[in-house]
Amino acid sequence: MKYLPFVLRNLGRNKLRSLLTASAIALAIALVCILRTMPAGLDSFLSSIASNTRVSTHNEAGMVYAMPYAYLQKVRAIPGVVAAISWQWFGGAVDLSKGVAFPNFAVDPEDFGRVYEDWNIAPQALEDFRKYRDAALVGRGTLEKNGWKVGDVVTLQSTVFPMQLSFRIVGEVPNPRATQFYFQREYLVQAFQASGTPIDSTGMIWSRIDDPDRVEPIMRQIDEMFRNGEAETASETEKSFFGNFFSSLKGIVAVIQIVAGIVTLCIVFIAANTASMSVRERVGEIAILRAIGFRRKIVFSTLLAEAAILSTLAGVAGALVSLGLTLMLRNLTSSGPQLGPLTGFIVTDTILVQALFLAFLIGIVSGWLPALGASRRSVAQTLREVF
Amino acid sequence: MALPLSYGWRSLLARGMRTVFTVAVIALVVIATTLFWSLIASLKRTLVSSGSAENLVVMRKGATNDGSSQLTLESLQAIRFFEGIARDSEGNPLISPELVVQPFFATADGGRENVLVRGVEPVALLVHDEVSIAEGRLFNTSSGEAVVGRGVAQRYKDASIGSELKFGRGTWTVVGILESEGSSFESEVWVDARQLANDAKRTLPYSGFRVRVAKGADMDALARRIADDPRFALEATREIDYYENLSSSANTLYVIVVGLAVLAGIGAIFGATNTMYAAVQARTSEIGTLRALGFSRAAILFSFLSESVMTALFAFGVGALGAWALAIFISWLLGGIAFGAATFTTNVIQLRVAPVDLLMPFALSVLIGVFGGLAPAARAARMRPVDALRKA
Amino acid sequence: MIDITNVSRVYQRGADEIHALEHVSLHVSKGRFVALMGPSGSGKSTLLNVLAGLDRPNAGEVVVGGRRLNELSEDQLAEFRAHTVGFVFQFFNLIPVLSAVENVELPLLLTKLSRAERRQRAETALRIVGLAERGDHLPRQLSGGEQQRVAIARAIVTDADLVVADEPTGDLDARNAEEILSLLQTLKRDFGKTIVIVTHDPRAEKWVDEVIHLDKGLLLETRPGGGLRDVAAS
Repeated sequence: MKYLPFVLRNLGRNKLRSLLTASAIALAIALVCILRTMPAGLDSFLSSIASNTRVSTHNEAGMVYAMPYAYLQKVRAIPGVVAAISWQWFGGAVDLSKGVAFPNFAVDPEDFGRVYEDWNIAPQALEDFRKYRDAALVGRGTLEKNGWKVGDVVTLQSTVFPMQLSFRIVGEVPNPRATQFYFQREYLVQAFQASGTPIDSTGMIWSRIDDPDRVEPIMRQIDEMFRNGEAETASETEKSFFGNFFSSLKGIVAVIQIVAGIVTLCIVFIAANTASMSVRERVGEIAILRAIGFRRKIVFSTLLAEAAILSTLAGVAGALVSLGLTLMLRNLTSSGPQLGPLTGFIVTDTILVQALFLAFLIGIVSGWLPALGASRRSVAQTLREVF
Repeated sequence: MALPLSYGWRSLLARGMRTVFTVAVIALVVIATTLFWSLIASLKRTLVSSGSAENLVVMRKGATNDGSSQLTLESLQAIRFFEGIARDSEGNPLISPELVVQPFFATADGGRENVLVRGVEPVALLVHDEVSIAEGRLFNTSSGEAVVGRGVAQRYKDASIGSELKFGRGTWTVVGILESEGSSFESEVWVDARQLANDAKRTLPYSGFRVRVAKGADMDALARRIADDPRFALEATREIDYYENLSSSANTLYVIVVGLAVLAGIGAIFGATNTMYAAVQARTSEIGTLRALGFSRAAILFSFLSESVMTALFAFGVGALGAWALAIFISWLLGGIAFGAATFTTNVIQLRVAPVDLLMPFALSVLIGVFGGLAPAARAARMRPVDALRKA
Repeated sequence: MIDITNVSRVYQRGADEIHALEHVSLHVSKGRFVALMGPSGSGKSTLLNVLAGLDRPNAGEVVVGGRRLNELSEDQLAEFRAHTVGFVFQFFNLIPVLSAVENVELPLLLTKLSRAERRQRAETALRIVGLAERGDHLPRQLSGGEQQRVAIARAIVTDADLVVADEPTGDLDARNAEEILSLLQTLKRDFGKTIVIVTHDPRAEKWVDEVIHLDKGLLLETRPGGGLRDVAAS
C-alpha cells in the first residue's frame, strides 16, 4: 500500500494519454451496461413472476384460438383451485396510428384480487374495480409512461373488435415494470350485445392453486377435463407461459450478448495498447528501479496496479454515464408489447457491479503482459541498450 | 512537395504491435456496429420486401394487421368486380381472399412460437407474384396438406417436405416449400382456406383480401372506393405501406444502434488518438529531419493524417469481412433469428450483412481515422525542426 | 570490499558476439574512491555492472562486501543491491513524476521504516548534497547538476557501503562536473563509503584514489589518482 502514491503518480505522468484511455474505457463500459439492460430486463421480468401457484390455461392450438367462456366455471369447480378468472385480449390502442402500446384485457373482477394476491393491489382499488362497470386497473409502468393518474378517463380503440370503449382508472398495479391494463369483462359483453353479436368465448383462464405441490396434478386434470371437447386446452405455470412468450426474443438477445462481448474485447485492446506504450517509454526508468533493488515482483505489481486502477476508475465513470444514458433512452422510446421488457433500459445494481468487476478484470488482463515483460527484462541488457 | 504515401504505410508496418492493436480496436467496433445494424436491417428488409407495389391489402376498418381482421363472404363478392382490379386471362379478378391464424408451433430446440398460417386459394400465387413454390408442389384443396416457407422449414419441428406438421387442431402433411425472395412470407405456412377456417372454428371465413391492381389503373381511387362502400366497413392500404407500418416497431432499435455506433466510435477515436500521439512522440527526430529537409507543415500534417486514415480503412476492411462471416455463422447457429413483429407472429430473419449495411460503419471508420489522427498530426506539423532535433 | 577474480563476460548484440570482459581481476579496498576509465567499448560499464550485482559474469568469481554474488538468485541480488549498493546513472536517474525528496525516498520503500522515518532520512540525505530547500521540486525544475546531486542523495539514503556511478558527469558542464566529483570525494572522506565510478572525463583523475584503465575487455594498468596524493599531502 505504501506504493500507492507512486502508482497514482505514474498515472499522472502523461495526463492526456491516461484521460483518453480512461474515456475510451468509460464509454465502452457504459455501452456494455446499456446493452446488458436488454437481456437483464427480460430475465428480471421473468423471475419477477414469483408466483409458483398460478396457472394459465389456453387453447392448445394457440393463444389466438378461443375457448368457451363456460370453461371458467368448470375450472373453478375443481378442488384445489382457490380462484380463477378469464382474460380476453382487447387489443386497444390509445392512438391507432401508433398501434397497441400496452397489453389490455377484459377480465372477471370478482376473483381478480384473489388470483393476483401477490401483486399488492390496494383493497379499495379492487373494490372499485368490482363496483364500477367501466373501471380499469392499470400497471404503474403504463400510468407513468402516459401520464395517467387514478381517476382519469381514457379511451381505447380496439384493433380486434369493431368498438371503442372509455374507462375510468380506479387503481394501479404497483409494480413499476407492470404495463397491463385490465377492465371488466361484463363491460365488453354489454358492448357486444349492443352491437347485436354476442360473445361467449374467452382467450385465457388464470387460476390460483392452493398448494404448490398440487399444481402439476391440477394442470393435468384441467387438460384432461377438456380433452375431446370443443376446444382442447394446454395448462402451464405462469413462469413457463411467459418464458415461452418471450422465447422468440432469444435470437435477438443472443446477438446483443455477442455485440457486448465484442465491445468488451475492444476495451481490452485499448487498455493493452496504452499499457504497453506507457511501459515501453519507461524502460530505462524501470531498469534503474530494479538496479536500486526493487524486485521483479514489486515492479510487476506496481505496473499492473497502474493498469487496474485506471481501468476500474474508468469503469466507475462509465457506469455513471450509462445511468444517465438509459434515462434518456427510456424517455425517447416506448416499449410495445412485442419488444416488451427488452426496452425497459433499467440499469440494475447487478449490472453496475458486474461492470465494475469487468473493468477491473480488463485492467488486469490488459496490463499483465506489458508489466510482466517489463519486470523481467534483463537490467544489464536494458542499461546497455538505453545508454 | 508532399510526402509519399509509402512513408506512411511503411511507418505503420514498422510499428507492428501498436498498429495491430489499433486495427483490432477499430475492426471490432466495425464488427459490433455492423452486426447490430444488419440485425435490424435484415428485419426491415424481410418485412419491407414483403408486398408488391401493385397490390392492395383489404381489411376491416380499424384493423392494423390481417390477423385481427374478420371479413365476410358478402364483402368479397361485392368488391370482386370493381373496376381497376386486374384480371387473369380468363377474366377472373385477381383477388386473393385469405384467412390468417397464428397457432403455436414447436421449435426445433423445444421452444414454442406463434407462426402465421395463411389459408389461401390457388389464386394467391398469382396475386403474390414474388411467392413461388421452390420445392415440391402446392397443396391440394381439402387434402390436409400445407406448404411451408423456407424459414419455417428451417426452424420448426417436423416442417420438412413429407413430414406431418402438427398445429391447430390437426396434423398437416407438408408437400412443398415456398420462397419469396427473402420476404416475410418465408416465415409463413400456407394451407387451404376452407380447411383452416374449419380447424380454427372461424365463423367468418376470411381475415383479409389481397387485391392485384390492374396495370395503369388508379390505385388510390380503387382504395377509396373500397373504403367508402357503405355496406361494409372496409379499408384498403397499399401492400408495401402495410408491411412498412408493421416494421415500424424496429425503429426503436435503430435508435439504439446509432447510439451504440456513436459511443463505440468515440471510444475508438480515443484509442486511435493515443496510438498516434505515441507515434508522433517516438518519431520526433524523424519529423525534425523531414522539416529540416524542407517538407512543409501541411505535408507533415497530411502524412500523419493519412497514416491514421489508412489504418482505419484497413481496419474497416478486416471488420467488414469479419462481420459478414460472423453474421452467417450466427444465423446458421441459431437457425435464423426470430423476431416477434407487431402481428403477434414470429418472423424468421436470416442475419445477413448486405453491402448497403456497410455504409454507416464505413463512414464511422473514416471519422475515426480522421478525428483520431487530427490532433496528433497537428502536433507533429507544429513542431519546429530545431526543437525536434534537439529532443533527439 | 570488492574482490573480482578472473571474470569474463560475453553477450550477444544483434548478430555479433561481444567479449566485454576478458579474465579481469580487481581488488578494491574499503573506503577507496576508484575510477574505471577507458575508451568506448572497453568494458568499463560491464565491469561496473558486474561488481554492483547487476550483471552475472560467464566465468570468474565476484565477492562484494563479503558476499559471493555468483551464488545469489535474481531476488537475492535485488536484496543485495538494495542494502549494499547505491546507484547513480548518467540519464533517467530520477522518476519524473516524483519530487526530489520522493525520489530520494524511493529505496527506503524497500525497508521497514515508517513514513516519517523515511521522510526524515531523505531530507538528511538531501542536506548532505546541499539541496535541502529543493526537496519539493520536480526533476524538470532542477538543473542537470542538481538532478545528479539528488541521484547521489538517493544513492546514500540507505546508508549503503558501496556507491557506483556510471558516467555521473557525462552530461554536465565543467563547473557542475567538479561539484559532483567533489561531493563524491566528500562521501568517501566523511562517510567512509567505497566509491567506484566509470568515466572518460580526464578531470576525474584529480579526485580519485586510484585509476583503473581498461581497453577491449582487458585490465591494462592501475595507478594512483590525485585524491590519494591530496590525502597523503594533508
